[in-house]
Amino acid sequence: MSATSAPLAHVTSVPGRSSRLRALVRMPGAVAGIAILVIVAAVAIGAPLFVHSYDLDVTKVNGPLLHAPTGAYPLGTDQSGRSELLLLAWGSRPSLLIGIIATALTMVLGTVIGLLAGHYQGIVGRLLMTVTDWFIVLPSLPLAIALSAVMGEGDTSITIAIAVTSWASTARLLRAQTLAVEARPFIERAKALGASNTQIMVRQVLPNVVPLILVSATLTVAGAILDQATLTFLGLGNPTEVSWGSMLNTAFANGDITAGAWWTLVPPGLAILVVVLGFSLTGRAVERVLNPRLAVER
Amino acid sequence: MTDCPSRPEPRLRARVVALLAGALVFACAIVGLSTAPGAARAASSSTSTFIGELDTSVSNFNPFLAFEQGEIDTNDMIYPTLTFGNEKNLPGPWLAKSWSISPNKLTWTFHLRTGLKWSDGTPLTASDVTWTYNLIMHNSAAATANGTLVAGFKSVTAPNASTVVITTKQPLANVLNDVMVIPIVPEHIWKAHVKKIGTFTNTTTPVVGYGPYVFTGYQPGQSVTLTASKSFFGGVPKYHRLILNYYANSSAAVAALRSGAIDSVGPNEMTSTEWKSLEHVPGVKAYQNVSNDWYAVEVNSGAKTRSGKPMGNGNPLLHNPVIRRAIALGINRNELVQKTVGGTAVATGSYLTVAFPQWYWTPPASQAQNYNPAKANAMLTKAGFPKGKNGYRYDKKTGKELSFRLGIHSDYANDAATANYLKGWMKDIGINLNVQAMSNTQLNDNLAIGDWDLLMDQWAEGADPTYLLSIQTCGVLPLNKNGSGGNTDSFFCNHRYDQLYNAEQHEFNLAKREADIKAMEKILYNADDDIILYDDNYLWATRTNYLKGYVYGSANSQGLYPLQNYELGWTKAIPAASTSGGGSSSTLIIVIIVVVVLLGGGGLLATLRRRRTAEERE
Amino acid sequence: MSSSSPNLVADEVALGVESASSVAPGGGAGRDFATYLGIKLLAALVSLVAVVVIAFILFSIIPANPVRTLTQGRPVSAAELATLRRQLGIGEPIYTQFWHFLDNLLHLRLGYSYQFRESVSSLIGQRIGPTMLLMGTSTLISIVLGLWLGIRSGWNEGSRFDRIASGASLALWSVPTFWLGIILLVVLSVGFGAFHGIFPAGGMHSPTAAPGAVNTVLDVAWHLVLPCLTLVLVVFAQYVTIMRSSIIDELGNPYLLTARAKGLRDDEVRRRHAVPNALLPSVTIIFLQLGAMVSGAITVEVVFSWPGLGYLTYQALQLPDIQLLEGTFIFFSAAVIGMNLVADILYRYLDPRVRAQ
Repeated sequence: MSATSAPLAHVTSVPGRSSRLRALVRMPGAVAGIAILVIVAAVAIGAPLFVHSYDLDVTKVNGPLLHAPTGAYPLGTDQSGRSELLLLAWGSRPSLLIGIIATALTMVLGTVIGLLAGHYQGIVGRLLMTVTDWFIVLPSLPLAIALSAVMGEGDTSITIAIAVTSWASTARLLRAQTLAVEARPFIERAKALGASNTQIMVRQVLPNVVPLILVSATLTVAGAILDQATLTFLGLGNPTEVSWGSMLNTAFANGDITAGAWWTLVPPGLAILVVVLGFSLTGRAVERVLNPRLAVER
Repeated sequence: MTDCPSRPEPRLRARVVALLAGALVFACAIVGLSTAPGAARAASSSTSTFIGELDTSVSNFNPFLAFEQGEIDTNDMIYPTLTFGNEKNLPGPWLAKSWSISPNKLTWTFHLRTGLKWSDGTPLTASDVTWTYNLIMHNSAAATANGTLVAGFKSVTAPNASTVVITTKQPLANVLNDVMVIPIVPEHIWKAHVKKIGTFTNTTTPVVGYGPYVFTGYQPGQSVTLTASKSFFGGVPKYHRLILNYYANSSAAVAALRSGAIDSVGPNEMTSTEWKSLEHVPGVKAYQNVSNDWYAVEVNSGAKTRSGKPMGNGNPLLHNPVIRRAIALGINRNELVQKTVGGTAVATGSYLTVAFPQWYWTPPASQAQNYNPAKANAMLTKAGFPKGKNGYRYDKKTGKELSFRLGIHSDYANDAATANYLKGWMKDIGINLNVQAMSNTQLNDNLAIGDWDLLMDQWAEGADPTYLLSIQTCGVLPLNKNGSGGNTDSFFCNHRYDQLYNAEQHEFNLAKREADIKAMEKILYNADDDIILYDDNYLWATRTNYLKGYVYGSANSQGLYPLQNYELGWTKAIPAASTSGGGSSSTLIIVIIVVVVLLGGGGLLATLRRRRTAEERE
Repeated sequence: MSSSSPNLVADEVALGVESASSVAPGGGAGRDFATYLGIKLLAALVSLVAVVVIAFILFSIIPANPVRTLTQGRPVSAAELATLRRQLGIGEPIYTQFWHFLDNLLHLRLGYSYQFRESVSSLIGQRIGPTMLLMGTSTLISIVLGLWLGIRSGWNEGSRFDRIASGASLALWSVPTFWLGIILLVVLSVGFGAFHGIFPAGGMHSPTAAPGAVNTVLDVAWHLVLPCLTLVLVVFAQYVTIMRSSIIDELGNPYLLTARAKGLRDDEVRRRHAVPNALLPSVTIIFLQLGAMVSGAITVEVVFSWPGLGYLTYQALQLPDIQLLEGTFIFFSAAVIGMNLVADILYRYLDPRVRAQ
């Protein structure tokens, strides 16, 4: 492959924390990304404060049905007369929650297997890598569809399906990083001093791969949110739950777009776009900060 | 670095590529526009085409196997049946021009039209009819589609070439309806397919048949092309060609209607939102048919086998008729109709539908279960189910909360919308509904073994109500706990109901039969096992050029047309006198393409020449 | 699950992460080509067998009695339901099912679809053409567009072009594919207000298209525009990032300084030296992204009712039609395994260090 670029391990000087923060702030992409995440988190966590049960209960709302945006309803109303703005705010919760949980599962699985595969170079390592490679090769959406069909529709099966189809690339990345870290002299020293395998992996390797895990996790959340939207759109989610994916599914299935009700279609998609961008920009920025060499090159 | 200011080569190449791409797109645009139906319709009336819609995807036109409505519709146009649904949706003469029944009501004699020939010239006789029927009656693979309909027949014989005699085991009131659905196939062609009848798809066109149309073209999964027959007893259709197109989703179908790529969309394609958006589009008439299709929520009042053994994990609280009645009173049908289907349905609680007025029963005002949450709340409290702190009721005796599962179809958007309303209304009367979306198969499996509390349900009533009534009889309860041998809709079982059912099947006196059937509806209504919500109207949109003859009957006071047999409409539709649309003629296309090519070619030459000079300059 | 964030992909390039199936002990060099090919083929076969077994296990868990769903709303007796169940082979013990499954596979039959009442193989045969047309055209355009943008961006790193191109590709990657498709459908096909759409709203053919090969080709091309556009917009970001990262990595190389010192023009240096070397790792990663292209194709086919394999999978979900789902799953996996195999061989073949042996 590319024989010219050196792996991350060969960074010798690690800049101080304050200079890292300063570097972060100077990047416009980072500022935008973090700002987006902060706003979205605020909306998601604070949603129960301004979205009440009677805003979501179709038997209690009395807004006009499928109406274009007006003063009272800034983003219009849906089929049942609920405010699209409030639905959008409320829908951020499952969308983000599923994304985060799926990512957590992915990272745990990917890290464990990546570390093991990188550390145990022999049969165990190769076996793990074969399994990982096999998972990477499997086309992800057909696999997710198959899993969801087996486990039944709903949030749990979507979360598991996303985790199953995403862990492999994380594992591969972490294995490469583990290999790089273990090539450093201090690992040899630890081995010479009689450290056990677990100690080496947990105490020596893990702290050095944490930056990559953080970056990878941030970027994986972005993908998981996209996946949740796609799987829900295909009908594999919970249709009565309000999430961005289900809002789009409903808009398409009800024929809202044919009726010209763009306000049911555009806001949820834009919300997904913005959140995913937020995670991507933040992840990229964090990566640059934690790995100055890449920052120079890029 | 180098101080060469510009790099002409890659820019040139890019420009050429861009030009050619643009030219190609433009050519596509022109051809695309010219293949629009406007241009196709500009032809003479000998190739007049009506483009209708296939209700479902199609893949198998074997009438012994065909399930999908799209396949059935096609088969109805190319194979004859003894009777056919007329303007009133009652069985009228088709292949059989008249019939008589013996005094003991066991023998039906059908007199066929004579002198008819299959599309390959072979005479169509009574022996084709008997061959078809006997195949269904004696070959289990061939009975896949229509076996139930002939289950009550004892024999089907042909004393001569133009008479068919059907004898039944018991007097059956609905024989005319049964024979309306069974396509008759040419014996001389199908004899060879009997061995593999379970897998024969009958998709090689042209198909030998007899009907208003001949099956001449097929694009797998997408469209069926039918050409008018040269002769047909009912009159050759005025439209020379009938193309039935399948649209995978409704937005594609509606967009096609707007652009004129299809002439008529319905009956099950559009959502009410889309239909409403077509109401004021010029050139399109959006109308509704009264429907024979009901939408309900069914309640598990106690699943049991035919011998009475309880089965499944349904919540035992639902055995209590008070709870079921409270649920029924807690549902606001009118609001459901307004808000989930935009008013395009008739709110009703009757088991049989408004489409067939002679069977339709409405409860007297004193017995009507109208929306009354106050009454429902009072009933439940009085019956020993007080409200707990969280607003949900619990059983005073056991402490168990009134919490029931509502199963919905994950692929039917209306189920989810309806479930949201049901959940809210049930909360108002203190019942917790736990909505579970699942695939069709999962839902039906759970239904069959009794593992359900409430389910969304939907059925269509045939021209004869017997089958729909049969699925609520004790006789179709399963034989054992894993659901085998059963065909029940909601595990309803009532002996009086069964008595009436047995009576009505053999009742030839219309008044008596009507009384029996209405009594059955009353029993169902009061049991609250199948809480009918509304009859969902059929939504149609047709281009105004193509209405004549296709839409018949007159609209009632609500603007609803009576239930129509759209297949009949295809044979009766009359092409518009003028040719509208007017797409580009072929000469115009050629001129435009030539101009585009010249422009593109000229641009290409110019850029090439510049490139050469640039190189020379180097 | 969705195609890796462009940034993660760039990380993989930077880390020198090897291609999925090229984990050969001791690295690639040092083995002759035939042995390499043999090992790769064997690995691919093992992968395929694993896919098949897992697919069978997975799908035999799903409730598999769709007879009621198939006959919904139609008059059927209990006896008929039983007959239908027997005909479709439902309810057999698991080992009988597995035996049928293996037997079918050996004869290259993938099963029988309940809802279409056709063999899965013939359905796949009917629908593979449209999918390949869609994926092929999209991949080609994405690669060309992505590579060109990536090269330009990477070469002129930090320029306005670079920033706009990178920004646009990141934004487009962040958009859900199906949403972009629906937006394009609304704007360019359904139209809004007084503007009538230009492109068809779905399908692959117009029923009234005039007969003839040229007309058919143009008609299909007409229907292909929107789905292809959607897929390209979402996927090309990958290739831009890969190529850009590769070029940037190449830029640090001393041999380029030499080339410039020799007096070679900037774009010649780029074209003749930097690009080919940067292309090499890109080739493998491009093939790796083909799996993501498959996912994108499925959602695009659903939105535009494109009659391909992706849409077939979606239709199979409705019942669910188990054997059809199983068949399409195995087929997609086999296709991606095959493409990875081709990528490995191609890479080995193209790597000048290896060819020099």
